[in-house]
Amino acid sequence: MTAYVIKGNDKNPVQAVKELFSKLLENQVDYIFLPGKSPYSKLPMPMLISDTAHMENLEPLAPAAPFNSAKQAASVLKSNTNKKIAFLLKPCEKRALVELVKLSQCSIENALIITADCLGRMENSTYLGLIEDAPGLIEAFLQDKSFQDKITSSCSVCTQFTDSGSDIHVNLIGCSGSAVFVPQTENGEAVFKKFECDRADIPTARENEVEQITKKHTENMETLSDNVLSKTKDVEKFQELIATCLNCYNCRTACPVCYCKECVFLTDIFNHMPETLLNRADKKGIIKLPTDTTMFHMTRLAHMSHACVGCGHCSSVCPSNIPVADIFKIVSKNTQDFFGYIPGENTDEKIPYLNYKKEN
Amino acid sequence: MSEFSPKIIVFVCNWCTYTAADLAGTSRLPYPPEVRLVRLMCTGMIDTKYILKAFLDGADGVFVGGCHPGDCHYIDGNLKAEKRITGLQQMVKNFGIDENRLKLEWIGASEGPEFQKHMTDFVAQIKVLGPGQTKDRMIL
Repeated sequence: MTAYVIKGNDKNPVQAVKELFSKLLENQVDYIFLPGKSPYSKLPMPMLISDTAHMENLEPLAPAAPFNSAKQAASVLKSNTNKKIAFLLKPCEKRALVELVKLSQCSIENALIITADCLGRMENSTYLGLIEDAPGLIEAFLQDKSFQDKITSSCSVCTQFTDSGSDIHVNLIGCSGSAVFVPQTENGEAVFKKFECDRADIPTARENEVEQITKKHTENMETLSDNVLSKTKDVEKFQELIATCLNCYNCRTACPVCYCKECVFLTDIFNHMPETLLNRADKKGIIKLPTDTTMFHMTRLAHMSHACVGCGHCSSVCPSNIPVADIFKIVSKNTQDFFGYIPGENTDEKIPYLNYKKEN
Repeated sequence: MSEFSPKIIVFVCNWCTYTAADLAGTSRLPYPPEVRLVRLMCTGMIDTKYILKAFLDGADGVFVGGCHPGDCHYIDGNLKAEKRITGLQQMVKNFGIDENRLKLEWIGASEGPEFQKHMTDFVAQIKVLGPGQTKDRMIL
């Protein structure tokens, strides 16, 4: 496989990624979409840029994300504008975007999807606390194991931190501080024909390091699995776990693959009439308000567990610190294993619930 | 103590299984009184939350009856239901709800005796499994 490094910029991966996007915006694409900070906060949010003058605001590879940006990416791809846009996505964001394509929410025909090795993200508050004292945090994070231990629970069990389906994948793991660009499609290959860059080899150390992280994360997953399974083994245990839920539906809003325009839990179906509530209270003697908390969580698991990409944002946004993502990780693994389905792998694979035509 | 009498919700499609239930009735074929039929136009309109709601509201078993593959009035609604229900069986297992408490069967319009047999068998099966988890429990 051919790989490339940016000429003269093979030691700072953040600068290398910025330079790639800068060159793309100069003469290959109309817009670029990647994380950047605003003048008002250092928290990186997705930025849509049309002019290279604003490159200094960008924070590619920052170990933080306030939400899974797949929904934001879909918002600029939901109808055909004939504009070419290059995206920098974390692998989980790319997987969610692929799921949204399958759900007819957007098209990635005109998009150039670039993913980068992901060493995990921190919670917003952790990231903002650290970057205040350490301006070089993003570069340091890629090397320093003590920073890497601060990632979220979902990231510490993730085994899909690299990507093989994007147009270009940025190799960082095992690349001793440089960014090695690997085109994975024809569109990706074409990018490097149009500007000067050095051919490179994928470092041999990479495979071993990827394996080590996978092993560590698989072990973490086993511990998490034992922990969660003991807490969900029956309905009563599950209710203990979600007992502090406020029905704020933040987890549903944050979920990149929960795509319904109007969630049923916001419709009149669950906006009960007083008589319904009184009837229920009569029947049971006591009911909790708001109602349907267990129903909400179980329904979301039933509706979306096949498509869960494991980004963990549902846990990050929970005001009651319910480990929503941990529950989803375990339940979705069972659902996905059952259907033999890997969400976000490629746009050709059919969603299991829509793949029902009997073979004759 | 009296014998456990399960509460069973049966979702049936208008065109096949409901007609079969009707036929069982007019043919005077007795089936257990524990089943409570809910008629829908098609099993394909059963959202998984209907079944979850039944389980959380105290149902001990849920049975879904639809047309045989190829006979669906809406072409492939029953096949959609099949996918959803097999997925849901896996999902509820995570919370200790036995997957055998949820059953999907194809019962054609002319199959009154089959309807009687499926109801009898399912009720017997749920009696063996015993009461579900949600009866007399506060559901949040």
